[in-house]
Amino acid sequence: MRPEALQHGPSLFGRLARRISFVLFIGAALLVSAAWYYAETAANKAYDRLLVGAALQMAESLSVEDGILTARLPTSAFELLGLADRDRIFYRVIDTHGQTLTGYDDLKTPTPLERAQDPLSVEEGVYKGEPVRIAHATRILADPAVSGRAYVIVAQTNEARLALTRELTLRATILVFIMSLLAFAGAMLAIRYALQPVEQLGTEVRGRDPHDLTPVTVDVPRELDPFVSSINHFMGRLNERVDLLQRFIADAAHQIRTPLTALTAQIDLLGTGKLDKAGRQHFNRVKERTSELSRLTNQLLSHAMVIHRADSVQLEPISLVDVARRAYRVAIPVTVDPDIVISFEAPDDRPLVLGDAVSLREAIVNVIDNALRHGTDQRLEVRVRASGTQAFVEVEDDGPGIPPESWEKATQRFATSKSREGSSGLGFAIAQEVANAHGGTLSFRARDERGFTVVLSLPLYRGVAK
Amino acid sequence: MIRICFALLVAGFTAAQALAAESNKTLFPAVQPDAGTLTIYSTTDLVAIKPLIEDFQKSSPDVSIDYNEYLTNELNALASEACRKQEPLGDLLLSSSVDQLLKLANDGCAAAHTSPETLRVAEWANWRDEVFGFTYEPAVFVYNRSKVPPAEVPRTHVELADLLRERLDYYRGRVGTYDIRLSGIGYLLAFNDARQTTTVFGRLLESMARASAVARCCTGEILEEVAKGNLYIGYNMLGSYAYDAAQRHPELGVVVPRDYTLVLSRGALIPKGAQRADLGARFLDYLLSERGQSVARTNAFYFTESGELPPGVDGPQNLKESGVAQPIRIGPALLAVQDRAQRQRFIEDWSQSLIELNSPAWTRE
Repeated sequence: MRPEALQHGPSLFGRLARRISFVLFIGAALLVSAAWYYAETAANKAYDRLLVGAALQMAESLSVEDGILTARLPTSAFELLGLADRDRIFYRVIDTHGQTLTGYDDLKTPTPLERAQDPLSVEEGVYKGEPVRIAHATRILADPAVSGRAYVIVAQTNEARLALTRELTLRATILVFIMSLLAFAGAMLAIRYALQPVEQLGTEVRGRDPHDLTPVTVDVPRELDPFVSSINHFMGRLNERVDLLQRFIADAAHQIRTPLTALTAQIDLLGTGKLDKAGRQHFNRVKERTSELSRLTNQLLSHAMVIHRADSVQLEPISLVDVARRAYRVAIPVTVDPDIVISFEAPDDRPLVLGDAVSLREAIVNVIDNALRHGTDQRLEVRVRASGTQAFVEVEDDGPGIPPESWEKATQRFATSKSREGSSGLGFAIAQEVANAHGGTLSFRARDERGFTVVLSLPLYRGVAK
Repeated sequence: MIRICFALLVAGFTAAQALAAESNKTLFPAVQPDAGTLTIYSTTDLVAIKPLIEDFQKSSPDVSIDYNEYLTNELNALASEACRKQEPLGDLLLSSSVDQLLKLANDGCAAAHTSPETLRVAEWANWRDEVFGFTYEPAVFVYNRSKVPPAEVPRTHVELADLLRERLDYYRGRVGTYDIRLSGIGYLLAFNDARQTTTVFGRLLESMARASAVARCCTGEILEEVAKGNLYIGYNMLGSYAYDAAQRHPELGVVVPRDYTLVLSRGALIPKGAQRADLGARFLDYLLSERGQSVARTNAFYFTESGELPPGVDGPQNLKESGVAQPIRIGPALLAVQDRAQRQRFIEDWSQSLIELNSPAWTRE
């Protein structure tokens, strides 16, 4: 199964990103709210001072002249309030009898003055339909003519406060926003970095040869260890199963061979003398099938051997020509049709490859055998040559060949277009297995006027032969 | 005694108000089909505002203008009453008594207006985008050239005080100034004089009292009498009117004081809920625009903040650069000017110094 075909669940990165941004967002919202709250407090404090200052100045300006309480409101008090340059100002001076001395008659403190505990206060209020801050200052008079409490109430609209609050909050918000952005970017980078081993592990596992069931050895963070060891544990078990299966097949093939040999011998002894025509036909068919069975059994054994050797045998430099020649001798039976022209060509410089001679011979034998059985009409050529970094064993015949669309299928086990002619279909599979184990390939060259060619290519060995 | 006088005066003034309401109405009909009538309530003399209105109607020929002229205190009383009843008075108020406009705005009677033109207004002449100062008018001395010898022409407040003291007999009953009980602008200037220099103002007031200074409701009256030679010196006259009169009467001299010069910026305000606030804003924008300012400089108010003094005016070359100019800032500080206890006492003090000492002059009025 290819990774693309997997149903994609939510990505880990996406999930982390979402959660982190959620947390950052909540954090930023809290910070901005706090900033707004502090800004408002600060603005109120700053402007309340002006308000109280003005109220005190006005209260200070009250004096008793000729037995009458008079207010000489200082211009500076209004200038002080005017520092909040867009705000409207309301004030009222109340004499000791509770009568308005000057100012706005209907201006009142939210808490009635009689109940006010402190000589000074600042409160929220509404005047003329506008939200205002209202301050009051008390002046205690102890003049023989006028004694008691006089009050000054000063109110101011909130525009300057709001403007300051907004400005402070806006600045804080910009800072919080920048910080959140930085934190988010940092977190994203960190997550990317942290998730890199997962990616690497995936690439490593995906890039493996399908037959490679050895443990994965990638450096991963501690957190991924359980995952990797699960993979390795699973691979180990799979490997055991595969080994068991291969051993079972080899054992089965081996066990079958003995009775099969006996069976062949018995059939040969049986002879054909006493049989009528139909019986002879049947007999011949049994004989054919038996030999086919024994060939299959041999191929199974050879396949198992090739696989086993690929895992266990140390590769060494060998002469490809020698191996090919030996295979050539084994593969061409003595009983071959004398009309067929068979040739073997090899260069003089004897190219070396790093390989297992037994497996390679088995592979070449299978290719030649295949050509002989299914391809050759009148001519079969086996050539060994080297070019660049590669060495080649080419088996060419003048048969019809395999059409290109069937090439891929040809190397699969038990697959053949000519099953009726008794192919086991393991020949190319074995050859390819060996080629792969040697870092080479098995390929086909399309039929031309000379014939169809199967090419086994292997990397050349550059060292010196032992 | 003073109080009774004052009360009588106020009563008389209220009666005069109804009369004034009819006589001072001027209609400037639209040249083109009417898009509406802009109603202006103003304290500016018709002569001064006329060039501006006519020029405005050149650029907005579809606007009729109903121009109503009042004294500053009358206008303030009307506007306050209208605001209290929530029946806006006209579409634009123009008053030289900016403290009254500021009080109106503070009481929530003004509508804010912002436009590219209002952005050009100096910071000291704009409050809350509701009250705009659109002129630059120094408070000046005027004198009659044939009555005041060149050597005696006072060029500072102290010189004026000293002159009145030294030549008491010559100037007795020959000095005129605003009656601050009647004129809001007179009160505003006097209050600011008092703030500028308590001692000099006190001395000046005392000198004027001894010289039996004459108090009149309006600049125009004093200027006329100085031109005629009935009065020799006019104190705290609005520069624009003074210069205008000086152009018509060559014997009238104008002096911009060199110690300090109060500078008043005539205020404009669009009443909240005005029916044609759009037209009010249009005329206001015109007044503040380059074009309006230039017409004002040549035809209406003559003095500007940055430019030189108009020719023939005795004073520092450039008001702003000489540092003599003391603009009356349009801001909350004017609320102190408008405080009723403050006003009452200030006017009482003033009346006591200037009028009571000269009760014969006062009763002659």
